[in-house]
Amino acid sequence: MYYHQPSRDLVIPGPAGCALMALALLAWCILFLKAEDQTSILVYMTSGSLLILIAALSDLHKSISSTIIANEKAWDYCMVLTMLFLILIFNDDHYTLFLLGTIMVYATAVLGLNVQLGYTGVINFSAASFFGIGSYAAAMLTSAGLPSLLALLLGGVFAALSGCLLLLPVLRTSGHYAALVTMAFALLFKVFLEVSEWFGGPQGIPVAPLTLFGLDFGADFTLGGMEASFYVKYDLACLALLCLSFAFVRRLERSWFGLSMDAVRCDETASACFGIDIARWKIAAFTIGNLLSGLAGALYAMMLSYISPANFAFADSLLFLSILLLGGMGNIWGVILATGFVVVIPEKFQVIQEYRYLIYAALVLFMILYRPMGLLPRKTRSYGGLP
Amino acid sequence: MELFLQFCINGLMLGMMYALVAVGFTLFFGVLDVIVFSHGDTVMVGSFAGLSMYWWLNAVYPGLSPEWTVLWIFFAAVAAVVAMGTLAARFMIMPLRKAPPLNTLLATMMLGTVLREAIRLFFPDGSNPKPFPRLLPDWAWQNGNLILRFDNILLFSMGALVIILVYLLIARTRLGMAIRAVAQDEEAARLMGVNFTLIVMTTFAVGSAVAAFAGVMNGLYYNEINFSLGLLLGAIGFSAAVIGGLGNIYGAILGGFIFAFLQTLGAVVLPFASAYKDVFAFGSVITLMAIRPTGLIAEPSSQRV
Amino acid sequence: MGIATLFRVLIFCLSLAGLSVDSGIAAAKTTVKVGFIGPLTGGVSSNGLGGRNSAELAVMERNEDPSSRYAYEFVALDDECKSNIGVQAATKMAADRKVIAAVTHYCSAVALSTVDIYHRFGLPVVVWGAVQPDITYGNDYPEIMRICGTMINQNEEAAKFMRSLGYKKFAIIHDTTDYGKSHKDYFTKYLVENGGEILDVFGVTSDQQDFTAELTKIKSLNPEVIYFGGLTPLGVRVRSQMEKLGIRAQFEGVSGIKSDAFIEGLGKELAEGCLSFIEGTPTEKLPGGRKFLKAYQSRNFAQGPEAYGPFAYTAMVQILDAIEKVGPDRKKVTATLNATKDAPTLVGDVTYDSHGQNIVPVISKYVVQDGVWALWEDSEYASGKRKLVNSKQ
Repeated sequence: MYYHQPSRDLVIPGPAGCALMALALLAWCILFLKAEDQTSILVYMTSGSLLILIAALSDLHKSISSTIIANEKAWDYCMVLTMLFLILIFNDDHYTLFLLGTIMVYATAVLGLNVQLGYTGVINFSAASFFGIGSYAAAMLTSAGLPSLLALLLGGVFAALSGCLLLLPVLRTSGHYAALVTMAFALLFKVFLEVSEWFGGPQGIPVAPLTLFGLDFGADFTLGGMEASFYVKYDLACLALLCLSFAFVRRLERSWFGLSMDAVRCDETASACFGIDIARWKIAAFTIGNLLSGLAGALYAMMLSYISPANFAFADSLLFLSILLLGGMGNIWGVILATGFVVVIPEKFQVIQEYRYLIYAALVLFMILYRPMGLLPRKTRSYGGLP
Repeated sequence: MELFLQFCINGLMLGMMYALVAVGFTLFFGVLDVIVFSHGDTVMVGSFAGLSMYWWLNAVYPGLSPEWTVLWIFFAAVAAVVAMGTLAARFMIMPLRKAPPLNTLLATMMLGTVLREAIRLFFPDGSNPKPFPRLLPDWAWQNGNLILRFDNILLFSMGALVIILVYLLIARTRLGMAIRAVAQDEEAARLMGVNFTLIVMTTFAVGSAVAAFAGVMNGLYYNEINFSLGLLLGAIGFSAAVIGGLGNIYGAILGGFIFAFLQTLGAVVLPFASAYKDVFAFGSVITLMAIRPTGLIAEPSSQRV
Repeated sequence: MGIATLFRVLIFCLSLAGLSVDSGIAAAKTTVKVGFIGPLTGGVSSNGLGGRNSAELAVMERNEDPSSRYAYEFVALDDECKSNIGVQAATKMAADRKVIAAVTHYCSAVALSTVDIYHRFGLPVVVWGAVQPDITYGNDYPEIMRICGTMINQNEEAAKFMRSLGYKKFAIIHDTTDYGKSHKDYFTKYLVENGGEILDVFGVTSDQQDFTAELTKIKSLNPEVIYFGGLTPLGVRVRSQMEKLGIRAQFEGVSGIKSDAFIEGLGKELAEGCLSFIEGTPTEKLPGGRKFLKAYQSRNFAQGPEAYGPFAYTAMVQILDAIEKVGPDRKKVTATLNATKDAPTLVGDVTYDSHGQNIVPVISKYVVQDGVWALWEDSEYASGKRKLVNSKQ
């Protein structure tokens, strides 16, 4: 086993280190999510960012990342357990559970965008539209009487198929021209939903709750004698979807698929010279990405139980893009971290009300200016470091 | 026939507006290879700057003749927006030059949001539409259903004049030569003694001035402005510049008029609900991009490897 | 520096934070939370902010009243006029057991998506601005009440009124949001029933700037009336471009344009003679109306109350009255509010029917006269001194 590692780095032995860090994260998340009044929210935020700053300035971040890299499996399990604990602890807090579910669903959609943009470099300014196609497919199919699991899967499939409409222009164009194609699609999609009576028009349509093997996800239930929120079930479903997508995307990244995609992104001409079929990889990435967005959208629709065109506007596509940029293009842990920030922080700052959007935009702007690679930039591939 | 002519007149006015916005996009893309998406909102700021000037003039020099008022409004709008545009270029766009194009695109979109929200929140009662003064003579020539207004002709010719001036500036002057040199090859231009920063900032000043002009023109034409007018205008201006072919002034003009034509056609000719006209216009743009992936007047697509 | 140091820092920070949490403020009266949800950002935010200010005004006034039994805390959330954000905000508010009741939603799509949540949590809400009929009539939830009327009554009255003036040929421009589209549907229905004729219908997106193409086509059809279904910003644009194209037709709007911003946006001359219809007895006519407007102005809010501000204010006053009467208990407050009958308020007498819909007996007709919205009956148009465009009278 060999990989580059400065000797002064402190590596906590194995899984224990991961568990410790996960515990710290869990503690912070619980406190932060429970915080209600503005002073405590501020205190947690500053303490959190101070910790990050300390870690970033000292060598701590190196030891953290090398611990994680060395014990990847353990870290993965720790993170899943952290999420499970969070869900368990907030079992009757509907609002927090809904936020957690939203984070996981958005993260899944952004993972899809990551395959397109982060790996293959296919520009997509209409991620929310494909998310919306999944949502609407789920709504229409469940109301047509299809079992909800099938509707969920078909939501993803429909999104992927609709993406084929854009394949030709997306393949033929590049750079800003491709940006325009997908942007036009995003603008078109919302107007289309609003004017077409068949999809419920501007006022939207209700979506039947998810039912799996006779289990109604829309109903509260008791958990060890305690009344638990129905969102617990949705959160578990979201977690399952996120874990599957995460595993899938990571496999993809590390296989020769990912290698080819990276090559296409880095230099189309060079990779074509090496016999990589650019069109094939772009199609693959675009379709896989839309599939994930669509699946996430379908689950989100069921969790929301009511959808309307305004949820899938161009601004929402921009939100997904800014999550990806914020997290660090191509870094899947970064995606999850950034989704957490983007979903939770504006909610915790409802106090600033009408100034929310202004401050959000300004923050993203500064982020792009001063940390253009995102919070957790993707590292160059390292070989041999993996057990 | 009258109806057809009337559609043409409206379409031409709309096209001129889009072309003016698209010219800005194309200029910025030319020198820096960036898309400045906040350009639509810059137009909006221009019209609000003009309105503020009008209010101020009204308070300080009541009874000023309309001609002078219009001139002052244009002056204020151009001054304010040029200052804003060059500052944004220097401190936001230039540092982002080396970043991936996506970063610039997203950053400028966020800048647009900041401008929009700032006007909405900090301009007096900014979330509501504001009346823009009627300062041009309202002579009109009417024949049945056809109405030809003098102010339309005036605005149209002023718009055309501005575009021609920009063209002459780029094509015929030393400054224009420097701009084109930077656009072709930044390094070579620097080696030839072109002050790169100065040229980029000048280009942004020119583009912003055009945007300010479009903003005031928008106000004078519709007599109503609001904080969100830049959002769609930006998207359409960008579309127009891209359909025409980025980096080419002719392309921007062509794209502007094509988009106006598509929208008018969508509203008038579509047999089913006219509400689909934006679907139609943007759908056509996508189709057009599939057929001509680098715009109608394509930039030379040789690639340095 | 290692993990241990990290931990020490973490623990220190957490303990610091823990201290700050528990230091609540002791108050003499029990604090009760009441909520407001509306669009505070985005295109229709002027209405949302007007509603929020009005609701907040009611809470402020109550808190200043020494005889009130509780101290009220006002919680306002933003739904951005998007149903997913609305669901988030509604869940937050409804799941917070300290919130006893709320005044919610301006956008119908948002209200439709959140009714199930309020029912699930038993939070009584009074809808202040969303006018889609299904919000109250599409369910049997006792928790959902609505103080403003539905667009059904509004358009029935409008259609009959326009026919009574002798107008026959109409062209419709509506925005493609649920608000504009539903207005178009109901107006069409009642107009055709009353023998009117719709020449053409144009749907436009809510951020469209240029209507010359639609208006030119309308001009060639030569209608007597242009019916506009939508909100103020769009209404201003349509009216001013009608003028540019020299269209001589009566401009008829809906409740969404009955705002001062409409007249300000157009200027006195152009706004003159525009019509609008809104539910309820006019604010100025009722004893409380002037007081409300004066109180609103005295608080120096940055935005005006807009058309639906009085509804938000009244809804909040009703909620506060109910809490004063039966105490901070959601179920009891729901029952009290449901039982409201012939209660005299700022927006006329309020009675909730079995679906929680306020039966608004009157629709007020307004016309712009000399730069203000004048009640039709009191206007010089009704007395025949001035004439509407194309009027047959």
